[in-house]
Amino acid sequence: MAADTVLVPDTDYVAGTVVDPLSHAQRLMRVTVGLIGGVAAIVIGLMVLTDVNAGYRVVLTVGGLVLLFLALDSAGKLVWGPLFETGLWMSVVWVAIVGLSAAFADFLPISEAKDASATIFDGTPTLKRPDLLSAHPLGTDRQALDVLGGIVYGARVSLQVSVLAVAIGILVGGTIGVMAGFFKGRLDTGIGVVTDSLLAFPPLILLLALASVMDRSPRNMAIALAILGIPTYIRLARVNTMVFAEREFVLASRAMGASRRRIMFKELVPNVALPIFSYAFIIIAVLIVAEASLSFLGLGIQRPDPTWGNMIAAGQDDFDRHPHLVFAPGVAMFLTVFALNRVGEKARELWDPRQAKL
Amino acid sequence: MLRTIGLKLVRLVPVLFIVSAATSLLIELVPGDPILVIIGAEGDIEDYERIEAELGLNRNVASRYIDWLGDIFTGDFGEQITRPGVKVADRLKQTFPVTIQISLMGMAMALLISVPMGSWAAYRAGSRFDRYSSGAAFGIISIPSFLAGLLLIFMFVFHSTVPRYAVLILGLAWSLWLLWSAARARREGAGGMLLRLAATIVVAGLTVWLANKWPSFPRQGFVRWTSEEGRLENLRSSLLPAITVGLTEIAVFMRLLRGDMQSTLQEDFILSARAKGMPPVRILARDALRPSSFSLITLAGVAFGRLIGGTVIVETIFRLPGMGSLIVNDGVNVGDFPVVQGGVLILATFYVVLNGAIDISYSYLDPRLRRGR
Repeated sequence: MAADTVLVPDTDYVAGTVVDPLSHAQRLMRVTVGLIGGVAAIVIGLMVLTDVNAGYRVVLTVGGLVLLFLALDSAGKLVWGPLFETGLWMSVVWVAIVGLSAAFADFLPISEAKDASATIFDGTPTLKRPDLLSAHPLGTDRQALDVLGGIVYGARVSLQVSVLAVAIGILVGGTIGVMAGFFKGRLDTGIGVVTDSLLAFPPLILLLALASVMDRSPRNMAIALAILGIPTYIRLARVNTMVFAEREFVLASRAMGASRRRIMFKELVPNVALPIFSYAFIIIAVLIVAEASLSFLGLGIQRPDPTWGNMIAAGQDDFDRHPHLVFAPGVAMFLTVFALNRVGEKARELWDPRQAKL
Repeated sequence: MLRTIGLKLVRLVPVLFIVSAATSLLIELVPGDPILVIIGAEGDIEDYERIEAELGLNRNVASRYIDWLGDIFTGDFGEQITRPGVKVADRLKQTFPVTIQISLMGMAMALLISVPMGSWAAYRAGSRFDRYSSGAAFGIISIPSFLAGLLLIFMFVFHSTVPRYAVLILGLAWSLWLLWSAARARREGAGGMLLRLAATIVVAGLTVWLANKWPSFPRQGFVRWTSEEGRLENLRSSLLPAITVGLTEIAVFMRLLRGDMQSTLQEDFILSARAKGMPPVRILARDALRPSSFSLITLAGVAFGRLIGGTVIVETIFRLPGMGSLIVNDGVNVGDFPVVQGGVLILATFYVVLNGAIDISYSYLDPRLRRGR
């Protein structure tokens, strides 16, 4: 999987105290100007200029969002000191929003997003343009289904599939990896051969085969994606186990006559679990993309259940005239993947001792 | 050296054997049925059984696989089941160049952009360039490739005036900045005034030329390198797919090289090169790049293999006649096993040979590895 390609340590630690390059007054200035300018630009872009070319409105709104970000950044640094990571906290907030709205999708006041027969007669317009203040904030698709609703239910599918896949992957891959790293020898060699073959096999063919054998429910998609992720977890767990197995506390435990099982579960697993969990966010992000790619190719979960991938696939045919059908779910997916990567990078920095040394 | 290469080639055999055997098992699991495709809606159960017997599809997987394996050793890839008379080898010959061209262009682009940018970011670690380029790389990594492809189509095919004016405005701004710095150089009596003036003229001229001659990119389709429509048409039809494929890799490579380069730049020999007064470009390109490129090259090999196997998404978006869509649409979906087997065999061979070549290149990159292997 592409999981290990995004895991590059990239943060410099600055030792000692950090002095904010801007003065208190400059920060306050930025907060005020950014807040006023940002809100003004967004209001004008979304509500005032309703009959201007959509391109200008998008540029204005995005500009307003950037100003708002700068204001929040300065506000955060004023309150929590100059090391405050605004981008990280915004990512956490976004992940929380996506997670909560996916969990409580059924209770949210969103319009019909699944059942096309329900929207035929109730007068919902098809292919409606996004208008944030209407009942369809992100517009409707060809069958008058609500795009925002589709995104929320799609988030539910994406998160269900990828979180379940990561959980299975950690459980199975982690166990095998710890055993390979602890017992070494022939068992390790055998497991190594199997993981290498799994990694060398074209992942798409594997997914295709699995997707066509099992019916395409979220649970089965999760199993298929978990199989793809397992080799990565085996490798991670194996390396970490080998590192920890050389440490003094394992030797001490062995000298006191602890059984092998006790050493594995009481000494090694708690230590190995943390670095492995710290990869979970990044792998969830990778799996969200993988699931969306499969749905995009028509091999994942099918309509009527909306997913980000199948919404984008359905919208791509004439998306020069109706770009919101592609870009609304696309932006939601991008933000989610970005936020998960950002949170995951921080998690790794905090919890993975092997990387932190670098 | 020859011995190393020989050993690599020997190890190729079992891997290819395992991969092809696993493929035939997996194809057996996929529900697509080539006979149903052949007889269509009209056929009845007798037709079905007759054709099944004629093609030898009623035998079990193992014996069919062994037959196929025997044919492969004589260089025969067999015929497509769903289109009798069409040789699989011919289909592979048609589709392989498309896939390889897109992947090669994407890779070349990714390396050409990421190596200078990653090196410079490492040299000026913590600078504004470093922070902005790292941030941009982080964002680019989070764009799934099919979304990137659609975004490129939206900008370059549907709204081609937007990138055109963007190039014009940015290029003119750049040349104005160069002009201003030339003026400042003159005022302060520093050297390089003429060089900056020349650069201004070159940048402005290139910008105007590019904005004037802005090519229109096709939404779909592919013009072959060898076709009579010419090389330019080929480049025009393959540029957007190549960017789609290479975009993520730019960011990944950049981050990787930046990290490795940064630790190389702490070494003593870099300090001595600096002390001798070498210019930064020379230090980066001649001294620091080679020892920093291990992970980059390893990852580039893996990424290239992944690109070739994974171009099906790009081929679907841009409707290209490549290997990914051949394997998926004409192979897996209809259960046409010679097509899948042949395609996967070619891809796996390519992947393994490439990664073997990369293993061998380590000894070129680091002379310490040459002996003792």
